[in-house]
Amino acid sequence: MIASLRAENLKTRKRWANWILFGILLAWIVLLTYLTLYLVLRLSPHSIQGPVPASVLKRRLFPENYVPTLLNAAGSIGAAILLIFGALSTASEYGWLTVQTILIQKPTRLAVLGGKLLVVGMTTVLVSLALLGVTALASYVVVTIDNSSSTWPSWEVTLKAFGALVLELLVWTSLGAFVGIAFRSAAAAIGGGLVYLFVVEALLGSLFRTTPVVKEILKFLPGINAGAINATFPVTIRDASATTQLVSAGRGMVTLVIWLAIFTISSLLIFQQRDVGGS
Amino acid sequence: MAQALAVETHGLSKRYSTGVMAVNDLSLLVKTGEVYGFLGPNGAGKTTTLRMLSGLLHPTSGTAIVAGAAPGSPASLARVGAMVETPAFYPYLSGRDNLRVVARYASVSTSRIDPVLKQVDLTDRAGYKFRTYSTGMKQRLGVAAALLKDPDLLILDEPTSGLDPQGTVEMRALIADLRREGRTVLLSSHLLNEVELTCDRVGVIAKGQLVAEGTVDELRARSGGRTLLIRATPLEQARRLLESLLKPDQVKVVDDALVLSVDPSQAASINRRLVSDGVDVSELRVSEQSLEAVFLELTEPPHVGPAQPGEGHT
Repeated sequence: MIASLRAENLKTRKRWANWILFGILLAWIVLLTYLTLYLVLRLSPHSIQGPVPASVLKRRLFPENYVPTLLNAAGSIGAAILLIFGALSTASEYGWLTVQTILIQKPTRLAVLGGKLLVVGMTTVLVSLALLGVTALASYVVVTIDNSSSTWPSWEVTLKAFGALVLELLVWTSLGAFVGIAFRSAAAAIGGGLVYLFVVEALLGSLFRTTPVVKEILKFLPGINAGAINATFPVTIRDASATTQLVSAGRGMVTLVIWLAIFTISSLLIFQQRDVGGS
Repeated sequence: MAQALAVETHGLSKRYSTGVMAVNDLSLLVKTGEVYGFLGPNGAGKTTTLRMLSGLLHPTSGTAIVAGAAPGSPASLARVGAMVETPAFYPYLSGRDNLRVVARYASVSTSRIDPVLKQVDLTDRAGYKFRTYSTGMKQRLGVAAALLKDPDLLILDEPTSGLDPQGTVEMRALIADLRREGRTVLLSSHLLNEVELTCDRVGVIAKGQLVAEGTVDELRARSGGRTLLIRATPLEQARRLLESLLKPDQVKVVDDALVLSVDPSQAASINRRLVSDGVDVSELRVSEQSLEAVFLELTEPPHVGPAQPGEGHT
């Protein structure tokens, strides 16, 4: 396992696609979530329609609300980027046929994939940390430029939020890794994963949330459960977009842990059993 | 390597989920220290067999022992260096970094990287990205990766594929060096000349079955061995005379010459008989059956069948 871990670390670190993906994620947070919205609220406050005035809405970008802003971004763009990262990390091995190169070295198949999943998991934790830092920094810059005052959430809230962030992103990464192994094609894995994320989870979750049969199914989906956890970190202003959660935060956490285990164990089982090469 | 046999398979078979029987009841014995050529036309089952021996494919039935352990087990893989099908590496890494990755997986010191790069003559391009490599360079990097573990047994799938003539010669020299170092090499090829020049023994596979096994000379002998080639005038008179002297199926006309499947020691008496009957003999010589002819004979559909007990394994 240590051998695989060291090899995987070298591959992950030197792959530019990974750095580009994470760069896009961080840039999205800074440029779209913070900078663009702040500029609109600051320079064109009357363009904002809705019950909450721009002057109040601006507080959503201040440090007091950086945790819900972060978790909100993590549930959309963060989920997509980490799903792609997971899918690339496993599916590329099939696309390049490098899976056969590494499987004819010394480690067992379980050690090979175990090492890969560990590195992918550790990378996800580091990305979560970077996201937390960049979001906090962006909120600090906004409140400073705005010459306003705000309070930071307590350490306890920050730690809990970080735990939630890591758990949610790990689930999306492991889903990506799983579909990468299942489909053995980066394009199919990323396409299928994103369709699931944005059509099944997002679209069904918003359009048919109250339909009884769909509602029962939605209660088991990762995105809905992640949303329930995120809802326990509310913004300090009136949130017109808030929806009723289908499950409790506690159940959401348990469900996500179960999904993480299912994706990880399924990946290991398929990787262990399946032939490499041939038709 | 302590074992007398580097590779041993018994009744090895692989049926894919598509229903294709790629390898059928294959029993192979590769002796320690020899270069064994696994010869067969495209689609014969060579790569499938090598994949099973490397642990990449699970056999449908049968058993195999590779370097003293089950294929794909850490004990086996620790002593086996392999390059199966195409050399597959990370395109965004340099040749050297790719070998670093392989060394880490194999728990091999990175100090092995420079010697193997030198051995395959890739030192100058080691810092370039793999995606920029030519086919021949990729092939050489694949061999370097296989050598990294300092293995007792090398499994090389079409090692000269994509190499230019100079590279092919160098690869043959490398294989000869490996044999001198006491390593066992199991290589697959569909190139008869390559097998003839590099291998101690050859196994011929067709449609997933081993149809012959032995040294190149043994295979030639099995398939008729040497023949007599005669150029004579008039040809038809000579053919009729020889058919009356020998069995008709021992006489063939190929490119205006008579090819006789007889013991070459009969050459003098046949010549005397032809001349005494008024036939002019302009050429009479012993002709070696080419390995190509043997190969075609063994792998053509009517002749495909499993090796008979005792005739194949030596």
